Amino acid sequence: MAEKEYEAKIIGFFCNWCTYAGADLAGVSRLQYPANIRVIRVMCSGTVSPHHVLRAFQKGADGVLIGGCHIGDCHYLKGNYMTIKRMTFLQDLLKFTGFEDGRLHLEWISAAEGPKFAQVIREFTEKIKKMGPSRLKIAPKAA
Amino acid sequence: MDRLRKKVRNLLKDGKVAGYLGYIMKDGHPLPHLFTPERPEEVDQAIVAPGDARYPLDKLLQQLTSGYPDATFAIQVRGCDERGLNELYKWGQLDPEKVVLVGVACPQDQADYCECAGPWPSVIDSGDKCAPVLRSLRVDRIDALSGEAAFQEWMGAFNKCIKCYGCRDICPMCFCKECALEHPDLMSTGKVPPDSIFQLVRAIHMAGRCIDCGLCEENCPADIPLRVLYKKGNALVKDLFDYDTGSLTTGLSPWKFLGEESGMETKPM
Ligand code: SF4
Ligand code: SF4
Ligand code: SF4
Ligand code: FES
Repeated sequence: MAEKEYEAKIIGFFCNWCTYAGADLAGVSRLQYPANIRVIRVMCSGTVSPHHVLRAFQKGADGVLIGGCHIGDCHYLKGNYMTIKRMTFLQDLLKFTGFEDGRLHLEWISAAEGPKFAQVIREFTEKIKKMGPSRLKIAPKAA
Repeated sequence: MDRLRKKVRNLLKDGKVAGYLGYIMKDGHPLPHLFTPERPEEVDQAIVAPGDARYPLDKLLQQLTSGYPDATFAIQVRGCDERGLNELYKWGQLDPEKVVLVGVACPQDQADYCECAGPWPSVIDSGDKCAPVLRSLRVDRIDALSGEAAFQEWMGAFNKCIKCYGCRDICPMCFCKECALEHPDLMSTGKVPPDSIFQLVRAIHMAGRCIDCGLCEENCPADIPLRVLYKKGNALVKDLFDYDTGSLTTGLSPWKFLGEESGMETKPM
């Protein structure tokens, strides 16, 4: 297809102890992944509030990716129990309001999973590019 | 009404309560009122508020108890008000030992209008049980829309918001001292309509907390169907975490604890 690819803006909230380190590993292993993602490092995925996700969408993010430790590996033991509760709920609420739940994704990526990190970023970027700009961004403003 | 007034008179006379928070008919207007033992004659004017003149009595009770933390109060409750009290006990905002219920069962037309699954409280001093409404057609209708259509509909509604905070201020379950809706790092300031996420932020806060009284929606000057949003939030909390908002037998809200185990799976991309 000749259409110019949409340069999607993706925000990543990555846990310091796993996904962020996984990104590091992907980096030193020289694995290729698209550069659409802006990373915000957090101390635990459980510190990411739905507010932060909604704020990111409001400010023009086309996709939001949350990266945390696998269940059982959270450095604060159970922080990610809350992550998955919150994000699953938020995905469903976004769906109900037509805000496109697929733009929010949660993935467990450990510090050792450099290749998985690169692959998730590739797939998610691909998906968001295909979806195009978020509805929120192109929504007509009230008169 | 006689049954209710008799109960209130006895409560006040026996000194069991410092006051009864209910409604009075004053100059033709039904108004919330604190009946006290000092003025027993007022009980002759005690009424059950008509469906379209309800007030957030649970909220008034919280204000009362913050001034008189040791006192016990009686309060008029419908089904939703009692669910509210139950939820407030769990959130540590009220002490169940210091609350006496004066219960009112809602008539059928009220339950139909509210799409209410629990239109009566555990104690009934006025009215009779009617048929509960177990499904919300208003929610079903939105569920059946395409994503695009749902988005258009909600954005059309959200864009009417004048950011008066009336939905929050009337809500019996909104007790936070600091409100995310006014947090400058989370919500743009000085903008009407507010950010499109304004109602979503509130919906998140109300999930597992909203007892579906409907006062926010009735209060909203922009006629935004807020209740539909919060009904859905509670339905999701029920589906995902098996939590019945406002029930005393269902444990704590899923947002209040991490859990022994996490059996949840991330959604596929
Ligand atoms: S939600 Fe409506 S029908 Fe249900 S108890 Fe409250 S006022 Fe009555
Ligand atoms: S229906 Fe509205 S006012 Fe009533 S508890 Fe729910 S959010 Fe609060
Ligand atoms: S009551 Fe209605 S108009 Fe006022 S802030 Fe709430 S949603 Fe907006
Ligand atoms: S420390 Fe990584 S998810 Fe909690």
